[in-house]
Parts: sequence; C-alpha cells; structure tokens
Amino acid sequence: VARSDIVEQKKESGPMPRLDRRRYNWESAVLLLPTALLLGTLFLLPIGYAFYLGLTNLQLIGANAVHYRFTGLVNIWRLLRDAEFFHSLALTLYFVVGGGALASTVAGLVLAMLMERAIPSLRAAVGALAMLACILPPATVAVVWFAVSTAGGVIPWMLGMGQADLLYAQPMLVVSAANAWSLCGLSMLMFAAALKNIPSEMIEAAILENASARQRFWRIILPMIRPTIMTSVLMMTLLSFGNFTLVFLMTGGGPSGQTNILPVYSYVQGFTFHNLGYGALLGNVIVVLASLLGIAFVLGDRLGSRTAPAAKALALT
Amino acid sequence: MTTLPSQTSGVRLGLDRTKFGPEVRIPSFTGDKVLRNALLFVCGAVFVLPLLWLIEASIDAGATRRLQFPDLTLDHFVTVTQPDKMMALGNSLLISLVATFVATIPSILAGYAFSRHHIPVKGGVLMLILFLSGVPINIMIIPVYQILGSLNLLSLIPTGIFLGVTALPFELYIIKNAIDAIPLDLEEAARIERANTAQILWRVVIPLAMPGIAAAAIFGFVNTWGNFLAPLVLISASNEQPSPIKIFGFMSADIIRYGDIAAYSIVYSAPVVALYLLSSRIFRSGFVLGGAVR
Repeated sequence: VARSDIVEQKKESGPMPRLDRRRYNWESAVLLLPTALLLGTLFLLPIGYAFYLGLTNLQLIGANAVHYRFTGLVNIWRLLRDAEFFHSLALTLYFVVGGGALASTVAGLVLAMLMERAIPSLRAAVGALAMLACILPPATVAVVWFAVSTAGGVIPWMLGMGQADLLYAQPMLVVSAANAWSLCGLSMLMFAAALKNIPSEMIEAAILENASARQRFWRIILPMIRPTIMTSVLMMTLLSFGNFTLVFLMTGGGPSGQTNILPVYSYVQGFTFHNLGYGALLGNVIVVLASLLGIAFVLGDRLGSRTAPAAKALALT
Repeated sequence: MTTLPSQTSGVRLGLDRTKFGPEVRIPSFTGDKVLRNALLFVCGAVFVLPLLWLIEASIDAGATRRLQFPDLTLDHFVTVTQPDKMMALGNSLLISLVATFVATIPSILAGYAFSRHHIPVKGGVLMLILFLSGVPINIMIIPVYQILGSLNLLSLIPTGIFLGVTALPFELYIIKNAIDAIPLDLEEAARIERANTAQILWRVVIPLAMPGIAAAAIFGFVNTWGNFLAPLVLISASNEQPSPIKIFGFMSADIIRYGDIAAYSIVYSAPVVALYLLSSRIFRSGFVLGGAVR
C-alpha cells in the first residue's frame, strides 16, 4: 500500500498524471483547513467588509454606531469633493513614491556600490548600521527621528542650521527621509547580492573595450540588476504604505495637515472624527492605490525591458 | 574566473600596458578611492549619529535633543523598568507570541500541502496569498474593529490572533520555499518505513525545514512586536496595552522626557535586535543536506 502511494505521488508531481487514479489527497484538505479558516475570517472577510463599510454611514459613537445603513455613493461623492482627500493623496504619492520607492532604492544602490570597493572595516560598520536602522521597530525610529530633527537636534546641527526646527519647517521631507533611512538597509542588502552576481568577465571586457565608468554603469551594471531594482521598488512602495506608525508618532499628520498621508487621514477620520464609514472608504483608496502602483511598476518594467536585451547584447559584444 | 578586486584598475588585470598602449586608460585611483571611502563614511555618519543620540540620551542625567557628552546616570533605565512599563513589555511579548503561533503552525501545515500535494488551482491560490502578503494591514483596522467590537473581543489575545493572521501569507511563502528545498527522497524513505503524514511532518519535514520555519516565526514575532495601530485601536483595557502605546504616551506628554523615552526605546528594541542576530546566526550555520541523499 505504502509503495503504491509513493508511485502515485511521483506520478502526481510528474508531467503526466495518471488519470485513472484519484489525484487529490484528502489530507491536503486537513492541512489547509487552519490556514483557510484564519485567512478567510480575519483577512479576506475584513477586506470585503471594508469595501461594504466604506459605503455606509457608520459612526464610531452616536445613533449611527449601531443603526448604520448602506448609503450607496454618498461617501464617494463626499470623497470627490473633499479637498483634504486630494491633498492627502498628493502627500501619499510623495511619501510612497518619492521617499519610499525612489529614495530608499537609490540610497540602497548607492550604499551597495560604495561598499563594493571600500575599506573592509568601514564596509562592515556601515552595513551593520544600515541593517540596524532597518530592523529597529517603527516606534523607535519615530522617537529617534523626532528628537534628531527638531530644534537643536543632530540633523539641523549637521546641516549647519543650528536651532532650526527642521521637523516643523519641512515636516514632509523629514518623515520621508526617516522612512528612507529605515528602509534602505533592506534594498542595500538586495543590491549587494545582485552586484556580486554580475560576472566579473563582463566588467573586465568592458574595461578592455575602454568603456568609461559611466558607460559601465549605464550599459552593464544597471541592465544586469534591473530585476533587483524592480523588486526593491515594489517592496519599498508596499512597506512605505504600511508605515503609518512613523508618521503618526512623529507628527500626527501635522503641523496643520502637512504630513496627513492617507493612512493617517483614514485613522483620523475614523477614530478622531468618528466617521468610521468614511475612514474605511479612505482605507479602500489605499488598497486600490497600492495595487495600481504595483501594476504600474510591473508594466513599466515590461515596457522598459524590451530595450534591455539589446543593451545587454551591446554590453556583451 | 579572475576576480577583480579593483575593477577600475587595469594593472591588477595583469594587462601588459605596453601592448595595449594608450588605449587602456588607467587613471590614478587613489583619489577615487579616498572619495569613495569618504562618501561611505558620511553615509555611515547619517546612520550612526541618530543612534548615537539614542544611546547618549539614555544614560545622560540632563538628556535633551542635543547630542552632548553625557552626565552619566542609569536613572532612566531604573525609571523605565517600573512595573507599569515592564507590564507593557510583557504585553508586547504575549501578543507577539500569540501572533507567532497563530501564523507559524498553520503555515507549516499549509506550506507542506502546497509543496507536496496536488491542489486544485494551486498557482492561483499561491498568487492570491502572495498578493495578500503585500496588502497594507492598516486598512483592515476599521472592519476588524467592527467585527471584534460586535463580539466584545477588543482585547489582547484576539488582537494577537489578528496580527498573526496578517503575517500568515508571508510566513506561508517562506515555509513553502523551505519545504520545496527538501529532497523528496527523504520522505519516500520514511513512507517505505510506513510513516504517516503526521510522523513525516514531525520527524522529517519540520527538522529539515527548521531554518526557514525559524525565519518565518521571527518575521511573525517582529511584525507584531512593532505594530502600533492594531493595539491602539483594538485593545480597550489600558493594562493590556503593549510597549508602542507607552512610547506614544511618552511622546505626546506635555514635557517630553528625552532620557526616559530613549532608555525605554532601547529596552523595547533590544529583543528585535537580538532576534535578528540569532536569525543571521541560524543562516550562517547553514542548512546542510549533503550526504542525506545519494
């Protein structure tokens, strides 16, 4: 019996399944059940429920907290006339695409490239520090960046601005920098591995062909690490979307709404202004936005990669 | 394969300069090298100075936002190890352990099924799970608040279960990949010995996939340890609040006590750093299957 099971399993994983035998194992249902139950009730259900709640007049307290009802497109109409929403949307794109996707990826790449040929002890120290910044819990990052960017803190001092309160003067820039600071260790790690995987023969050949450092970077290194850039950009985007804690603890969305990114606005609408239904709708905008950005990056990569093989071939000849 | 210690240096390639003549450009690299290291040093300073402030403030009796020479004291650490602060740390530990178990054990079972069994629309299901692992979890707070609130479950353990579920998709992915890497022959040998699936999982798969499982579990733990919004909204009793809420309390006080907040942040971050060091050790010691299969 045991042997025929094995044969069966081997057939199942092979290219030609035996159609005259049962192919499904009842045990898989048992093994998948806990995951299915948990994901169904506490992941998929809340997401679906959020889309429903976004179209209701649910309130945190008061009459509409219990007897709320479906109000159709009323919330969406309100969203489209909400100037603060569009402001918040622009801030979110700045934070996620600028401070998250681009700044962290570029910083990670620069760090990895600088480290490639640095003094070993300096390389080890900077690598460890960047990773430390990356693994610290967001609340700690918020504490540190709050302290170092306000008046008298380390960053204004480093920039020679003395007593300037940088967090008050440039709140969006500071929270974006804090976000990039806490994420770029991860992309540095990814790029360090990718750079190591570039065959040194290609670089040597390019040097023999008298290619300048700039040519080597644009024509060989960049096309070769393209998949890593893509992965990094996607990961940094998603991680930045999730970084509610950093902004909320550092500024609470202020001063006067200048860092009111969508995750913060959704929380404030839901739990400060008690508009849970409208807050849920703002959350749904985040899901849609994250999905759209993800799709846009993947499509952009596909489009761009049409030219990439040519560049690679050019680099190889 | 020739490895190239300095890719900009033609000399180290062993090229005959006279043969290639002026075509091989060999600029002077000392300047370049100094610039590179100096730039990296500046990057290092950007990372180290904020962290240095954190350490300095935690042991400075007159701690401010300024980076200054500390007036050494351990008072801040004494303050932050008072019972209420320690209870918050205990709550953080409890909520993170609950989340780790809720995410890791189902992930092992499902990861094994996804790795070894024939499952209808497996590709589609795995794509969905990958997509779920990228969903920003904060958007689920309002619906989960509604659900748990209506069941009167706005407390520590349900919040831990919810946070575990949010880590589940990514953990499942890590564990499935770890199980994929185990040679099938080992399981077949066990099956010939008439081991059932439970025995194979417990005796063969779990021990061999341990590095992957440990990595996944550490992810689950850290993911919950660092979460701030879920406990803020989903835990109503103040004595059940974990550490990030205490940090929020410190920061929204009228007079921010920088020494205490720095010391508490260090105490709160230490377990995460320790887990990271542990996990990198697990990976360095490697995962040796050589010799198990001929």
